[in-house]
Amino acid sequence: MKQDLILEQRVLEEVRKAISEGIDINPASVKPESSLMKDLGAESLDFLDINYRLEQTFGIKMARRSVLDHMEELFGEETAIDSDGKLTDKAAEVLAIRYDGSGYKLNAGMDMDDLPAMVTVSSIVEGVMNLLDTLPEKCINCGAQSWNLHEETRIHCGSCGEVATFTSGDDLIEIWLKQVQENKKIF
Amino acid sequence: MEKDFFTGKVALVTGSSRGIGRAIAMAFARAGSNLVINHSKAGGSSRKKAEEVCREIERLGRKAFVVQADIGLKSSVREMIALISGWYGRLDFLVLNAARAPFKPIERLLEREIRQLVETNFIGNIFCIQEALPLLGASGGKIVFISSLGGRFYNPAYPLGSMKAAMEVVVRDCAESFAPRKISVNGICGGVVKTDSFKVLRQHMEELEYIPEELCVSPDAIADVAVFLCGPAARGICGQTIVVDNGLSNRLYRPAWAGEQKSR
Repeated sequence: MKQDLILEQRVLEEVRKAISEGIDINPASVKPESSLMKDLGAESLDFLDINYRLEQTFGIKMARRSVLDHMEELFGEETAIDSDGKLTDKAAEVLAIRYDGSGYKLNAGMDMDDLPAMVTVSSIVEGVMNLLDTLPEKCINCGAQSWNLHEETRIHCGSCGEVATFTSGDDLIEIWLKQVQENKKIF
Repeated sequence: MEKDFFTGKVALVTGSSRGIGRAIAMAFARAGSNLVINHSKAGGSSRKKAEEVCREIERLGRKAFVVQADIGLKSSVREMIALISGWYGRLDFLVLNAARAPFKPIERLLEREIRQLVETNFIGNIFCIQEALPLLGASGGKIVFISSLGGRFYNPAYPLGSMKAAMEVVVRDCAESFAPRKISVNGICGGVVKTDSFKVLRQHMEELEYIPEELCVSPDAIADVAVFLCGPAARGICGQTIVVDNGLSNRLYRPAWAGEQKSR
């Protein structure tokens, strides 16, 4: 369910903190529109460090694999990236749906190595928000419907104190891809 | 240990802006050596991290320089060695630590990923050995290769393991063929180390998260063995790759994480 205990502004602050600590830069230089690779100098290992920090902060599980990895797992090898490492037509179509309105230019034939540069501060914020919005209606431990905020970023059951569990990033991508496939029959 | 053995000597640690490489560089500095810190990508966060390592080494009263070089490119390796020769006029210890690989099953590697895997992790290390040989020969130098348990045991998403295995053979070969030049060559087979790379690996092999802390090895524990292998106390060790894993691989009959997983 859509949760309103942790607001987007708070998530942005935490993402900013995770990035500035992860790659050792001034938090003030981390703008919502900054590309982690192009503007902030992040490298592939840094992404995981940043994800790890966010997982610890919010008690969530960020996606281990990309949308493209999931696409290949669900719909077959080379459905997302061809043997030359280029984005397929179908993958471009799926990504265009996923990032609709974000202003990203995603074309078939793009090199897979150019994709990580599209990750921005606000795309990470959105990813975290989506995970937080998988907060279940009821506590899985006691069934109570009251959630509390602890230490500003952790959601606990207001009745029994159990920590909230969220859908994992990988599961969320899979669910989304299956929905897209059902509606659009891309693959 | 021979007093002041490491003082004034020079160590090059490839891939030393972070993780195990960084810990090794710091250990050599503490032992008294001057350092060359290497990283591969220009302009990224590694550069900054490498410079931070240098400053830390300088605070210990040693010298340190950063050289950006992709070891997979022979010309870059050649330039790096020329720079070292210019700065220090010598090279005593070459620690082959740099590695780069995708974490996915071998059958899913793209052609260019396979080539890059071999280029950095096999060919690149050999370039370093070849280009450093004249300087190492002049000083009776030491080479230490950083391998990992993935070169000996199955891991579902670790194609790098095959290159580690190949390099362990290179260690044996070179130890024998460089012996007349008084250059020693050995390796360290590291266990599960919780560095940045671990964060990648853990994404592909969830079980890793359940390995109890006491079976993980710290970067410093590996670094100390690297320094030991370059010192006079290791004079009898030749062509070996020493396992440094806090006992993880010794637990054949007591699966390392079975109990932990059940309580998940």
